[in-house]
Formats: sequence, structure tokens, C-alpha cells
Amino acid sequence: MKQAIDKIQSEAEIAINASSNTRELTEVRVRFLGKNGEITAIMKNLGSVPKEEKPAMGKMLNEVRVAIEQMLESKEKTLAEAEKKARLLAEDIDVTLPSPKSEHLGTVHPLTIVKNEIIDIFLGFGFNVAEGPEIETDMFNFQLLNVPKDHPARDMQDTFYVNDNIVLRTHTSPMQARIMTSQQPPIRVVVPGKVYRSDDDASHSPIFHQVEGLAVGKDITLGDLQGVLTAFAEKLFAEDVKTRFRPSYFPFTEPSVEMDVSCTICHGKGCRVCKGTGWLEVLGAGVVNPVVLDMCGIDSKVYSGFAFGIGVERIAMLKYGVPNIKMFYENDLRFLKQFK
Amino acid sequence: MKAPISWLNEYVEIDVTAETLAKKLVGIGFEVEGIEYQNKTATKVVVCKINEIDKHPNADRLSVCKIDIGSKILQIVTNAKMTVGELVPVALDGAVLVTGQKINAGELRGVHSDGMFCGGEELGLTNDEYVGASNNDVLRLNGEYKLGANVFDEIGFNDVILDVSITANRPDCNSIFKLAKEVAVALKKNWNAPSFEYSTKGSSVYDLVKVEVKNQSLCPRYMAAGVKNIRIAQSPLIIKKRLRAVGIRPINNIVDITNYILIELGQPMHAFDKRELAGEAIVVRNAKENETIVSLDGKLNNLKEDMLVICDAVKPVAIAGIMGGENSGIKEDTKEVIFESARFARDSIRRTSKALNLRSDSSARFEKGVDFALQEYALNRALHLICELDAGDVVEGVIDVSVEFEKFREIFFTMKKISQILGFTVRKQSLVPILRRLGIEVKDNGKELVAIIPGDREDMCGVNDIAEEFIRVYGFGHIPPTLFAHSEMTKGGRGAKIEFIDKVENTLASLGLSQIVNYSFTTPKCYDLLKFPQDSKVREAISLLNPLGEAVSIMRTTMVHSMIETISFNISKFNKTGKLFEVGKVYLPEKLPLEDLPKEEETLCLGIYGDEDFFSLKSIIESLFNVLRIDIKLEKEQICYLHDGRSAKIFANGVEVGIMGELHPDVMENYDVSQRLYVAELSLEKLFSLEKTEILCAPISRYPAVQRDLAVVLDSNIVAGDLIDLISNSKIKCLSKCQVFDVFESEAIGEGKKSVALSFEFVSYDKTMTDEEINEAMKKILSLLQRKFKAKIR
Repeated sequence: MKQAIDKIQSEAEIAINASSNTRELTEVRVRFLGKNGEITAIMKNLGSVPKEEKPAMGKMLNEVRVAIEQMLESKEKTLAEAEKKARLLAEDIDVTLPSPKSEHLGTVHPLTIVKNEIIDIFLGFGFNVAEGPEIETDMFNFQLLNVPKDHPARDMQDTFYVNDNIVLRTHTSPMQARIMTSQQPPIRVVVPGKVYRSDDDASHSPIFHQVEGLAVGKDITLGDLQGVLTAFAEKLFAEDVKTRFRPSYFPFTEPSVEMDVSCTICHGKGCRVCKGTGWLEVLGAGVVNPVVLDMCGIDSKVYSGFAFGIGVERIAMLKYGVPNIKMFYENDLRFLKQFK
Repeated sequence: MKAPISWLNEYVEIDVTAETLAKKLVGIGFEVEGIEYQNKTATKVVVCKINEIDKHPNADRLSVCKIDIGSKILQIVTNAKMTVGELVPVALDGAVLVTGQKINAGELRGVHSDGMFCGGEELGLTNDEYVGASNNDVLRLNGEYKLGANVFDEIGFNDVILDVSITANRPDCNSIFKLAKEVAVALKKNWNAPSFEYSTKGSSVYDLVKVEVKNQSLCPRYMAAGVKNIRIAQSPLIIKKRLRAVGIRPINNIVDITNYILIELGQPMHAFDKRELAGEAIVVRNAKENETIVSLDGKLNNLKEDMLVICDAVKPVAIAGIMGGENSGIKEDTKEVIFESARFARDSIRRTSKALNLRSDSSARFEKGVDFALQEYALNRALHLICELDAGDVVEGVIDVSVEFEKFREIFFTMKKISQILGFTVRKQSLVPILRRLGIEVKDNGKELVAIIPGDREDMCGVNDIAEEFIRVYGFGHIPPTLFAHSEMTKGGRGAKIEFIDKVENTLASLGLSQIVNYSFTTPKCYDLLKFPQDSKVREAISLLNPLGEAVSIMRTTMVHSMIETISFNISKFNKTGKLFEVGKVYLPEKLPLEDLPKEEETLCLGIYGDEDFFSLKSIIESLFNVLRIDIKLEKEQICYLHDGRSAKIFANGVEVGIMGELHPDVMENYDVSQRLYVAELSLEKLFSLEKTEILCAPISRYPAVQRDLAVVLDSNIVAGDLIDLISNSKIKCLSKCQVFDVFESEAIGEGKKSVALSFEFVSYDKTMTDEEINEAMKKILSLLQRKFKAKIR
């Protein structure tokens, strides 16, 4: 019997080593350890062994069974590992092939991106967002902003008229008047929107976008205007951008300023984009004219404020290096798809 | 405003370069839009003297000149007739002329020549810049010039002209003399006024003309002076050069004087030939209905009663402040002149000039506004120039018909208020000297400070103006930046509507669509292109009074037209496929012509083309509705510009919100598009009102869901949506999903019939469902379909 058991062990060892895949190994397992396997067969013969040898034989048989199982297990591990390796090798792909879905991404319009960026910055300063009508009364677009009929300041903006009293708004500023005639301070609001000027040449579009800003409250100063707008420029362009304020004129602000930022291309050294000046004009602003406050029903003796208007196209052209304002309205997918 | 630096220099010493001056002007609020160098194109042209002239050995018509350019003697071969001792301009080796011609030394018929003598044309000069420059010959220089020196510097054609943009609040600076005052402030220099002195020679202006002003609100001041024995001649070179530099053609001394004063002082003037004033009268009055006048430019103008005219005793002789009449001007034989120097109401000039479509330097200037002091300055200056040019004899007296006007204005203010506006402590010692340089004196009345504003600063009316005048000179850089240092905090936020729009835009972008932005105005032809019936409400669009063209003349009432055009454009650019969306407004008038502001409806337009179909568009809309938590339902509907069988109305929670479908082949033809395309237009206003923003977490069943399928045969005209609606509305127990997954027709099924396969999902939240329960539910569904649609199980 002992020889028989030894034989099984050595045969099992040979068979296991000879297995080249897990399927063959399973066959070996069945052959030796299965229900009708060789170990089971010998187990059945254990009855014919003399009684005194029985424990030793039993023990020996068990040890062989355990040894076979261990061999099987370790072989199985090796084989499984090899098979997994083989599978991975077989599943090798060319990672440089194109993915079919990458082109399917959509885009929001660059003007939307810039508009939202501007709005987000002012939300951080506690501003609200409001929108107003594009077809506007002469009253709100001009008169309440200190531009009476036939005033020379009307030449500053070429206006589209619907009739004598209704115009396409030439700026987002009428919302200043709409807000001030309907709310009391403190007011902090930005107003994004389309505006219209009857001006169509290489550098002008008859439609463009502005973001208007208005802050009215107690003790709001020109210093606040410069501080807020400088912080805005730093966030929009770069933390190290420089700002410069120059005197200007808008009928509804006094004093009025233009804000320049140091050229984002040459950092102030002078280049083609900034026409060698080192500065880029980015927005107009000013202290709300007390005349406007009073016309809108806000007591200029108690309250003061500042207002500003940002040209969205101008900022987008600077930020993205868009050479021509008309590109925003052509809607060529090859242009639009760049703004992911 | 064009300002030659040499002219400014007459009133203020300018000792900096043009570039520095431009920067300084920008710093105090005068944007310089351009710097023009009178001579920038011609180089290496110098003054030379002809020393010797010899015949050319090989050519009869040429001569060889030895010339002196100060440092050395050179040789020029020329075909011009020269005289020894003459001074002429010579272009040396390497020179470039105004014509672009390059000059090189070389041989001419075998004789060396160092360059070329120049005529006026080659140097960009005419008789107005240098006498003789218009002759078609080498320019002979008369006078003493430095040999070898740059010819332009020597003859004074080296001016630099600033193009200064004057803001609407500073009409006074549309003049050399007031701009010079600002230059003086910027450069911290003294400012000298021009001379207004003149002498008279007997008689009286009252003997020459009577002036009557009938409408003083449109003509608050009218001044007139007379000059006899007019001696019409050319103006001196300095006047001609200055006028040419600012783009005015010199004519004769009298006309030139009025133009000169327009630029120098900013006051338009008019010189009447006294012979043309019937009845020796000037009457300033409103035009009569049906009155006409032929203006200087030969145009017949039909006048209206609100227009102001200058008349003689009989007829209008000028449209006040805009243009003189045909015959009122100065002629070669004019003997007596009446100078007009008036103030006309700027809004009246503006309206009249617009209504007559007649513009002039004078009207442009009056529209901006002239101040009350200017009429007298201008008249005196004109008479001064008459004397200086010896152009006539000034008669005694000046007519002045004027309303009362303030010579100065007082603004009361405190240093505290100035500091409050600017945001830092401003000291009186820094404020007062700056205002003084600007011509504003400050007095202290013990309680407050009083600024005395001169009459020409009609823009200044309050303390904010004082703050501005100070800070624009003091410099904005001195203001410490603050972030709402003293005022209240506010909450801020986007607001629901704007958040909704952002969500729509971002969702559509994530679904693969690209946002477009189109013009809000469009062509009235779009309604025909889209086959809208003549009586369609959509055709009621707002028109612009002054559009840039018919193609952009109405405010759009649908966004589909511009979407199709955008797609057509992209197809033409070989963009083979595309998915686009636009968020914008349509403008819907309550009634036309417009009385109240129209409704501006926020609208979404979708357009897809290339490898797409109806259902790819539907799936985009469904996904969007899903994000907005709105139920969607489509109902077939014929829409004029869409494919009869592939168009639908879109309902959201039962409310009609838009339409979608494939473009009609006729419309494809109208737009010349060859590819099928799919469009949708939805009201964002309505979707916004239906959107559910709050999320309420629903329970998740612990028990497995059970799936069942069912295929039925029914009439082909029954739409799948009705089956789903019937089943969904029937409250089948535990039914959680019900979808159509296959529809087909075949011979086997029979004509007019179709097979519809449905899948169902059942979920219970409190137990595992038994087969019996599900069978029961399926039986109920089948019997519903049998009863309502005569469906048979397949």
C-alpha cells in the first residue's frame, strides 16, 4: 500500500508539472482528488490494511492528499498568472488611436465665458446681477442719464431708433436708472447684456455686449471705484497687472475716468496690441453724477456711488487674442470649438 | 480737433516733444488720437546754392551744376534752367521724396551727379506753403537759408499736428486758444492770450446795417461789425499754412479770417457782402412755412417754421449758424463787409442741420456749444486781423444784441465734501493752486469755499465738477485704492433666472452643442423664406427707423432664420456636422406701430445637421428637460417651415413651450442648403417658470426590480406616446417604468397594422413581488390596450 501511495504522489507531481494550462490542471485534480479519483480509491482500500498500520497509512494518505492539494494550488496560481499575462498581451491596443467621442464636446460662446467670468468676480464683492430691456425708452437710455434731447453728448453714441421715444439701448447704463428709480441703497449690481450702435466697420459691430456696474450707498468714493476695479482687473487678467486711471467724460458720472491696464501681451513694454503705449483701455467708469441720483429719486446729499461699463468683446479679444470683433458673430464652428 | 503745435506754441511755450505733450494731454483728459508730422516722408533734401553752371558734354538739354551744401561742393546734372547764386532744394544720394521716389547718386549721360534738384510737388508743397511751390519747376528759395540744412526745417514745413479728441463737456477746447490753456496747465507754463486790439477809421456800423433779433431764445447773442474799403487779397503765408495744416483751403483774406478764427477761438463767423443785404438790414427770425433758400453749396433747402434764418429786409440770406446763402458770400469785388459773430442755441442748430441734412464746420461747432464771451472775442480778433492784414477799414462801433448772461458762476463747497468724493483727504493748499491754473479762483466766505467759475466753463455746475477739475490735474494715481472702505456690505448673487439660463447653456454644451450668438436684427424677407402665412402673428416685427440696411432692419420675432443661416454658413465652410444652440431674445410688440416697450422673450433655438435625425434632436431636448426636472411630451403638428411628417409641438408639464422638427424641403431650397437639418425653438421664459430646482431624495427599493416585455399588434396610425400615456395614467400597481423599444410593420402583420414592443419595470418598496402579482398587472395592461386601441397580443 505504501508503494501505491508513494506512486500516486510521484505520478501526481509529474502530472501537475506537466499541466500547461488551468483546464489540464483541473483534469489532474479530478484524476487524483475527485470523487472517483485515485486518492479516493485508495481510501476505500484502507479497510484492507492491517489494523495496526491503519493510523500510519491514514496519516500518510492524508499527508499525500494535502501535498497534492498544495502542489495543485501553487501550480494553479502560476498558470493563472501566466494566462492573465497572456490575455493582457493579447488585448494590447494602440493608445494613440482616436477616441470616437472626443469631438462630441460642446462649447459655450466665448462671450458667455467672459461675461460669466466678469460676473463671478463682482459676485465676490457682494454685487447682484440684473438684466433689462434691450429696446428702451429715450427717457431711460438718455434723459435720466443726464443726456437731454439734442444734447451734443448724443453724438458719442450712434443710436438706432424705433421711433422718437424708443431706441435700441446704446449701453447697459439705462439699467442704472431703472434700478435707482426702483430700489433704495445700498445697491451693488452688475448688468450684462446686448447693446446697439449704428456703427459697422472693421473694428465695430452694430451689436456688442457690455457689463454695467453700479454701486450706490453711503460714503462710496472714487477710491472705492479705483480699488474695486483694480481688484477686478487683477482677478480677470493677472495678479500683477497694473491699472491706470485717466480723466474722461460721461454725462452720468462726475468725475469720469477711463481705466487702462498694463498690456497683457508685452507687460507694459510696448507692442503692436497696445500700439506701443504699454497700456490697454479696458473700461469707462466714474462717480455717479449727483444730478442723476437726484433725477432717479436718490438723495445725493446722503448717498453717493460709482458706475462702470465693461465691453465684453474687448476683454474677450484681449484674453483670447481674437483679431477681429466680427468673428464672435460669424459662428464658425472652427472658431467656437476652441473655447472648451 | 486738429491742433498744430506751432499754433499752440503762439499762446504757450512748448518745450517738450510732441509725444510727451500728447501723454501730458491724455493725463489731464484730452485723448490724442494721432500725431501727424507734416513732413515725415521726404528725407535728405537740403538747401544748396548754385555755384557754377557748365554745359553737359554729351547732351544739349542738360547742364552740370556745382553746388554748395555748406560742408562741401557737389555736382548735379539737371535739365532745369538754373542761374548761378540761386538757392534750391536738392535731394542727395539716398534721399526719398514725398512721391516715394528714391534718389541715388549716379551717372547721367556719362557725367556724375550727386542727386537731384526738387520742385514743390516732389516735396509735398503748394503755393500755400511756399510761394512758387506750385510752379512746375525746381523750387527757387527766396530769402536767407542755411546751406546744407533740411529744407523743410528751413522753410517751416515741419509742423507736428495733434489730433485731439475733445469730450462733449469741453466744447470750449475745440479751439487752439483754449486748448493752449490746457496745455499750459499740463506743462505748468504761462498762457498768453491773443491780441484783440484794432483801430477804426471813421463812419459807424449803425450807418451800414440795422440788426433785429426776433427770436432771442434761439439766438441769445448777435454781434456785428462793419469793414469798408475791403481789399481782397491772398492771406499771408502763416495764415495759409495754418489753415492748410488743419485741412482748410485758403481762399482770400476775408474768408480766411473767419476760418482762422473758427479754429483759433472756436467761434464760427460769417462775413456778409453788404451789397447782398437788401434794405441794409439783418433780421434773425424763424423761417416761414414754405420759405426756401439755396445754400452756398448750391442746394435748395425747404425751410420749416422751427428753423432759424438770417434775413435781410426781404429774404433769408443764411441758415443761422449752418450755411450762408448762395450769393451772400465774399466776392473779388466786395467793398463792404458785415461780420456776424453770434451765439445760436445748440439744440436748434442740431435739429435744423439734421432735418436739412446740411452740415458745415460752423454747424458742427455750434452743435457742441459756444460760450457767451466768445462772440466778442471773435469779433475783436477779426477786426484785429483786418487791421494787421490791411484788408479794409474798420468802421466805428459794434452791434451787440444779447440776452443777459452770467459772466461767472459760483459753486459753494467744502474740503470735506471734496475728500468724501475722492476718498482721501484733500488739502486746500493743493486744491487752490490747481484751480487757479485752470482759471478758477477760490474764495473763503468763512463757512464754505466759493469757486468762481469763468463763463466759458458752462459744464461746471456742482462740487463734483470741482473734484474732477482738481483730480484730473493732481492725478488719479494719488488716490489710495479701497474696497468699500466706509459703506455697507451687501449679499449679492446671480438670481434664479440667470442661474437657470446658465444651467441651460452648460447642459447643452455638455450634450455636445456649441453656443452661437446672432444679431438681434434681421431681414423682413425671412418670413417668406420660412413660408410664414401672410397673416401670421410672427410677421409683426418692430422696424428700425435708421437700420444699417434692409438685411438688418427688423427686430427678430423668431430665431430660426438666423439659425438656418448659421448652419448654411458652416456647411459652406466645410464644417460637415454641427450641433448648435443660441440663447437670445425675440421681440414681440403688443401692437404696431410700437407704443409701449415690447415683450422681450428669452428664447432657445437649437439646430443640428450632418449625421443627425429627428430623434437626436429630441434626445437633446429630453436630456435638457431631464436636468430641469420638467416632463416632456411631443405632439405632432404641422409648422410652416418644417417637414409635414416630421414636426411637433413640445409640451412641458402640459404647457406648450415650443416646436421642433426637420426643415421643410421648400425652405431648404429657399436657403440653398442641401443637407437635412433639424431645428427647435423653445420659450425659455416658460421653461423657467416650470423648472423645479429643489431636489427631494426619493427612497430606493431594497427589493429587486422585475422586467417584462409585451408585443402587440395595432393600427399603424396609433402613436406610441398614446399607449404610454394610457398605461402610465392607469395606476398599475408597482409599475415603475414603461417604454416602447421596438416598432415595425411587415406583410406578416398585415397592411395598416404595426407591431409595438413595450418593456415594463415593476418595483415594490415593501416586498419581493411574486410572479402572480406581475402576471396580474400585465394582464391588466393588455386588456387596457385591447379595449382602447384594439390591440392584439403578438
